[in-house]
Amino acid sequence: MTENTDDRVSRKRYERETAARAEAETLLEEKSRDLFLANQKLEKYSTDLEQAVLERTAEVRLALERTEAASAARSRFLATMSHEIRTPLGGLLGMIDLLEMDEQEPGKLELLNYAKTAGVGLSRIVNDVLDFSKMEAGVFLFEEENVDIRALIESVKILAQSHDTGADRQIVSKVSDSVPKLFLGDATRIRQVISNFVSNAIRYSFDGPITIKATAKGDADKTILRLEVEDFGVGIDAEGISNLFKDFTQISNPLTAAAQGAGLGLAICKRIINGVGGEISVDSTLGEGSTFWFEIEIETVDLPDTIGTDGRDTPLLLPPEGIEGTRVLIAEDNTINQKLLLTYADKMGLIADLAEDGSVALQKFAPGKYDLVLMDIAMPVMDGLEATRRIRDRWDPTDVPPILALTAHVMDAIEDEAEQVGIDRILSKPIPFQELKHAIEDVLAGGLKTTQQTPRPSAKPRKAKAKPETSSARSLVDLMAPDVHKNLVEIFGLDGLSDFAEKFLRDSSDRIEKLMMADKNGNVQEVQAQAHSLKGAALALGFPDMVHWAKKIELGETERDDMTVRETAEKFRAKLTELSTILMR
Amino acid sequence: MKGVVFVELVKMAEDAFGEDTVDSVLDKAELENDGAFTTVGNYPCSELVKIVMAFSEHSGLSPEVLQIKFGHWMMAFFIEHYPEFFKDKTSAFALLESVDQEIHVEVRKLYPDAELPRFDTERLSDSHLSMIYSSPRPLDAFCQGLIEACLLHFGEEGDIARTPHPTAENTTTFDVTTTA
Repeated sequence: MTENTDDRVSRKRYERETAARAEAETLLEEKSRDLFLANQKLEKYSTDLEQAVLERTAEVRLALERTEAASAARSRFLATMSHEIRTPLGGLLGMIDLLEMDEQEPGKLELLNYAKTAGVGLSRIVNDVLDFSKMEAGVFLFEEENVDIRALIESVKILAQSHDTGADRQIVSKVSDSVPKLFLGDATRIRQVISNFVSNAIRYSFDGPITIKATAKGDADKTILRLEVEDFGVGIDAEGISNLFKDFTQISNPLTAAAQGAGLGLAICKRIINGVGGEISVDSTLGEGSTFWFEIEIETVDLPDTIGTDGRDTPLLLPPEGIEGTRVLIAEDNTINQKLLLTYADKMGLIADLAEDGSVALQKFAPGKYDLVLMDIAMPVMDGLEATRRIRDRWDPTDVPPILALTAHVMDAIEDEAEQVGIDRILSKPIPFQELKHAIEDVLAGGLKTTQQTPRPSAKPRKAKAKPETSSARSLVDLMAPDVHKNLVEIFGLDGLSDFAEKFLRDSSDRIEKLMMADKNGNVQEVQAQAHSLKGAALALGFPDMVHWAKKIELGETERDDMTVRETAEKFRAKLTELSTILMR
Repeated sequence: MKGVVFVELVKMAEDAFGEDTVDSVLDKAELENDGAFTTVGNYPCSELVKIVMAFSEHSGLSPEVLQIKFGHWMMAFFIEHYPEFFKDKTSAFALLESVDQEIHVEVRKLYPDAELPRFDTERLSDSHLSMIYSSPRPLDAFCQGLIEACLLHFGEEGDIARTPHPTAENTTTFDVTTTA
């Protein structure tokens, strides 16, 4: 070997390295292939996954759309059914009431009474079933409003005792001082639950008092209201209790052979209370009596300092501003309704005077003696419509305070006649406290002269606000086409409408002068142009008379009414003067 | 066992005994692939034992001593080729503690099929680390060499006590105690 040998690598070594490299390359190729396959697999997973997600999303969306459509259809159906069933039923009951009032013959009265009992029962079932369906359909909403539980319990008591079955029963209410005077809740639903408890207590007990008890516990952050209705009736055994709040169940009542109602009352109560996050149950011993109770969390509403602190006879609601001390004549023959209205009036701080029928009301009434008249429509001797007519006939309009009619009629049936005799507003019976209060506030603030704004029974009374500035618009409405007036009020508001009318007045006064001048000068073209503008403006504000006259002048057809252009223009101007007087007021 | 161990072992032998000697020793060792190792390959541990035994026979050094030397060699190799494992370590203990949870994690990224030994460490005091080595391969002395080289790298001195586990097979505890 030469010296160079050290730098050279032996054949053996070279072969070893080559073999090692070949192995390494094979390994690398294998690894690359593995990687490629792994990659491919991953891509497939990814694609499959995306596809799966897309399909799933599409399915879910479709399902959602279907559910929404079904839900919307159900809601619509319920709303329609609710209206379609309740309206004629209300009509039937109202008519039965009317017939009963005029009927003297005992046999027929008895039949009417049966009809009424059946109708009221049906009405209760229909309402229950509709409520229940609404809950099932998820369209049952809870409202949040100020709840005065004391007043609410009183009204439940009065209502319960107004029914034949509850008339001779002693119902006691005990509201602990710990219960806030006002709290936020859904008064209608709470009333419904208490009412249900009480009517059950009456139905399932023979005698003994029924006690409505309300207590509150907890601190400022979290107050729990507990309400109990206790009876000493037939009681319920353990098995009965477990079924009690289920849908369509009733426990047998040894006091009445026949089952009453649809067995939905307590199921609905349970849903209502659970719906507001509360608890509902019953403690009962067979043969000794039952205590139905619920507990709900409530949010106390702070009262202004003006409320008295003795906690007993203070006004149970926020003192109605401006109506306290109002002198009101209540014409009402039904003793239960008398009691109800007098209680309401007392709670509103009104000074009430009672007339047993229309004729007594007529005798009692004198100018300046009352600030308000609440007039029942159907009364013996003289009904409310007649009494109103006579009061309006006898006294000067400025001497007659607002007259509110209370009726169990379907309102459409007497609306026209009521308006004719000069009733300011019709309210449907039985009227909830708040609704009556708002109506009184409204009518006292606005001096209403029309029944146009009478809220339907279903309207939310607490949304109604007094509108003291409505007098101008209220008279404006006499000049205007009703639909146009309604539209414009919606668009401009009452204030805006007045402004709009004022603008019309200025503009049109100017134009009518120009028109008459042009007529005097024999400028027919100018007369027509002004008449055209006047017609357009009058149309926009819905003054039909002015439209008519302007049109006649524009078309040169005044002779058809046996008038000259000048005479017609004078009429138009007179109407403007009338409008101006109204707007000045 | 990873090819890099074989490749480095052969390199160390070449460094110590010269290429010609290595060639003839490898010949005699009757290896399955005639000593053609690549770092990316895997070879049976028994082949490693054959090589160690062959060089032990050739040099007169015990397999134990050869393994310890090889441990030192491999630590130098790691320091040179994988500085990222040493970058943020300030002590031998820190590095030894990172073997199982950091370094082996990285190894698995490159070689998912690698059969790695386990190193469970417990810091008994600031100067005392217990390290339990579990592996089906009898390379205790190689581990010892690695630990020694690790201490040297961080400029630390100490004792390494090696105790086979009383019951578990293939398990050895290294008690590393630093003195400075």
